[in-house]
Amino acid sequence: MGSDVLLAVRNLVQEFVLRDFGGAKGGVLQAVSDVSFDLHVGETLGIVGETGSGKSTLARSVIQAPPPKHGQVLFQGEDLVRLKHGALKAARRNLQMVFQDPFTSLDPRWTVASLVEEPLVAYGEGSREQRRERVSELLDLVGLDPVRYGGRHTRELSGGQCQRVAVARALALAPKLILCDEPVSSLDVLVQAQVLNLFERLREELGLSYLFIAHDLALVKQVSDRVAVMYLGKLCEIGPVRSIYTGPLHPYTLALLNSIPSPDPTVGRRDTASVISGELPSPLDPPSGCRFRTRCPRAADLCAAEVPELRQLGDGHLVACHFPLSAAGDGLAQPAATTQVATPAAVTSVAAAGADGS
Amino acid sequence: MSVPAADVLATTVPVPAAGAGEPGARRRGALRSAEIAIPGALLILLLFFCFIWPLVYPVPKPVFGALQTTDLPLFSSGHIFGTDIVGNDIMSRILYGGRVSFEVAAAVQAIGLAAGGLLGLVAAYFGGWLDAVLMRILDVFIAFPSLVLVLAIADGLGPSEWHVIIALSAFSIPAFARVSRAAALTLRDRPFIVAARLSGTPWWRIMFTHLVPNMAPQLLTFTLLGASITIILEGALDFLNAGIPAPGASWGNMIASGQQYLSVYPMLVVVPSVFLLLTSICLNLLGDGLRARWGVR
Amino acid sequence: MTTTVHAAMPEVPLRPSPLLEASDLHVTFRTRGGEVYAVQGISFTVEPGQTLAIIGESGSGKTVSAQAVMGILPRAARVSGSIKFKGDEVVGRSERELRDYRGRCVAMVFQNPERSLNPTMRIGTQIAEAVQTHLPVDKQEAHKRAVELMRMVRLPAPERRFYEYPHQLSGGMRQRVVIAIALACGPSVLIADEATTALDVTTQAQIMDLLMDIQEQTGTALLMISHDLGLAASYAEEVIVMYAGKVVERAPTKELFAGVRMPYTQALLDAIPRIEAEPHVLLPVVGGRPPDLSSIPVGCPFAPRCPAVQQDCREQAPPLKQYEPGRWWACWHPYKKEHSSDG
Repeated sequence: MGSDVLLAVRNLVQEFVLRDFGGAKGGVLQAVSDVSFDLHVGETLGIVGETGSGKSTLARSVIQAPPPKHGQVLFQGEDLVRLKHGALKAARRNLQMVFQDPFTSLDPRWTVASLVEEPLVAYGEGSREQRRERVSELLDLVGLDPVRYGGRHTRELSGGQCQRVAVARALALAPKLILCDEPVSSLDVLVQAQVLNLFERLREELGLSYLFIAHDLALVKQVSDRVAVMYLGKLCEIGPVRSIYTGPLHPYTLALLNSIPSPDPTVGRRDTASVISGELPSPLDPPSGCRFRTRCPRAADLCAAEVPELRQLGDGHLVACHFPLSAAGDGLAQPAATTQVATPAAVTSVAAAGADGS
Repeated sequence: MSVPAADVLATTVPVPAAGAGEPGARRRGALRSAEIAIPGALLILLLFFCFIWPLVYPVPKPVFGALQTTDLPLFSSGHIFGTDIVGNDIMSRILYGGRVSFEVAAAVQAIGLAAGGLLGLVAAYFGGWLDAVLMRILDVFIAFPSLVLVLAIADGLGPSEWHVIIALSAFSIPAFARVSRAAALTLRDRPFIVAARLSGTPWWRIMFTHLVPNMAPQLLTFTLLGASITIILEGALDFLNAGIPAPGASWGNMIASGQQYLSVYPMLVVVPSVFLLLTSICLNLLGDGLRARWGVR
Repeated sequence: MTTTVHAAMPEVPLRPSPLLEASDLHVTFRTRGGEVYAVQGISFTVEPGQTLAIIGESGSGKTVSAQAVMGILPRAARVSGSIKFKGDEVVGRSERELRDYRGRCVAMVFQNPERSLNPTMRIGTQIAEAVQTHLPVDKQEAHKRAVELMRMVRLPAPERRFYEYPHQLSGGMRQRVVIAIALACGPSVLIADEATTALDVTTQAQIMDLLMDIQEQTGTALLMISHDLGLAASYAEEVIVMYAGKVVERAPTKELFAGVRMPYTQALLDAIPRIEAEPHVLLPVVGGRPPDLSSIPVGCPFAPRCPAVQQDCREQAPPLKQYEPGRWWACWHPYKKEHSSDG
């Protein structure tokens, strides 16, 4: 593991047990299936996926809320999964999260100032005076006047303002890595742009790293250095932003790119039918082998028989596909190098899953 | 184009709530305020008369009345509700009996809220075996019909106000625990609780500074609704001579002693019954009105 | 093959008249806090078979306008102005007349298919019910038409799917069912109110393709309500941009994107993250938030935030005028024709 790797996720598996009406075990949903990736210091890794991709569950597993079923989450060298209460709390100082819905991620009964102060209180940082000062500092940093907004409650704020408060809270302990779970999805376009710019500015000013989760590919490109694409709990492709967008290797990535309506009418309707068909399979019973094969125009017998592993096909560009697109964008590609990044555990279904999912 | 430091406008855009502003809405809004104001005012009035009035205005004693004044009808001079068979002034017995009812209701609700509320909160927050064990124990109490449970305990302990409170708490604590647990469960997985945990806040602070304030509307409305039930149960206990012992005044035992003379002097039963009913209804309406106003489900 | 389920291709009269015509539409809500002026005098037309997009952020009045066209505004709303469907006035009609009008003339597809479908009823039955609302057919015939409709919206295995419940379908399939219900009686106008917002982008593309194909097949006009300018660019023929209850720009799609005039539209365009753009570049943004709709502002509603604002903008609200054939805008100082749309 390189010295500048801030977060290394290895073979992460997260499952939820579904209970029938009577409480009996109904089935197991494997929301995240053997996912591994690295995140370097100062980098923004974007994770893109649609419904059922497991991206939000992945974020929650990284932050151990709840901890994953299997796998390792190596943050600054320590495996968070193994850490107990006190040590986990200490490690979490440097790892914070911003959630999707700004209104439900902030206690409606608390004032803005106390919300931002909460992490400082919890970790016993400084005196009351010092905490007050720090809260003012943080609110200024996110563009909210502390005098005007400090005493307000979330019902008096707009979505964009609430999200700024959430960001200020996340910054309170000066973390190294911030997980952003669809932080702008519920905001209007203009406000979205404001908040995205805020993320960018903070990244530069404070040297932050982000794990940025979104369903919008264009948005993710705006903020990321590297992008990972997930489908039905598996990582399809991961690589530097430019090569993902100009030369996607996984058919699903291509389908995603083609589906985005472009604000340029001369482009017209993209042809999506040729790159993706059918419906998303049930996550409870994913297709064997490659999970995307039921919708992939390139699927062959091998795809049903064998689960594709992540292979490196370009500079830092990995893809999990038996028949990846070539860099030129068509035809079958021969893998240039077959360096395996991690040795994934065999994908068997379900180990005993006991705890409640949440 | 740079990002300005602060948002220009402070106000949020109001979204017209569904149904708001309809021609009936103003009437409904007024109705809702009346729903709360009228029972609230009545209750305050009752409380005033039971607790404060006797301190300022000489009210005849509720016990050991004079023999010459027995069986006076309503609106007799000096005895607005008349007197009972031993000459006690009914009005004064109503007031002192009311004291008992309110004291008991307040105590029982307080105990229920504190103990039951805490039990439900802890069960919901920690879940797992703790939740299962606590809930099964409480289920035992809930399984009994409330009056049977309460009667058995009060009877076993003997008649006294304090024993009545204990008995009624056996009903109130599990009820509060249920409500508190349900409210806490809905809140437990909300993102702001997860966020609080991620911020490092310890479990007890999360419980008391995050969960409890957000559960307050449900708990408060249940307190009032529970009080309305408690008043009736207390009356029932007294009626069955398992509660406040004679000659102490309570609405329930007034009804009990008066029922033998129902055909001759119905007022002996009617007057305390009316008060019992009125108090219970007011508490119920107030609880319901607040529930509607605060949008508690 | 009978196609009585779908609207017949509208005959093109010698003098084309718009299918739907809104003139000076005002919608005001009476709330506890006062009046909310959700729509402040908008006008637009929908031609037969046209695809028109109404774009705006939340609070712009676009959904309220669509609800006014459908006649489904709550009673709290006061509507003035006119909405004419094929020349007949819709505003002020009784509920009974509106019931006849909805579904048969104009139909709507909403954002959340979960809310539009009855979870306890089979999907086929729901479609058949919709058919029977306006068409005098018996149950067997309605069943047949429902299956035909399901085929039209490309639901695989329609005969079997008829008996399924909404929870057994994915989000995209549910939305197709909702579209089938909307088309059941062959409306001339289909309103899609953020119909694809809650769907995945791949599903969105499939649903939009479906809508386009249905349009070609049946000649139904499509009124798309959205916040997504990209969607408008890819699928609409004409775009109307709304802000704070007013129409601020209107143009055929290609011309609009070739040269935006109204600074608000430009701000919207600029704020969309582009695939083509370089990462880590700050987006050009305008600060502030949309105005409070409880009062009608003096001057242009966008003036407090507009990068090109001048004194007269604050004093007098610019009217929406057709400055060029087919191009309308409401701005005293619009961008010049040479202004390119990539900011």
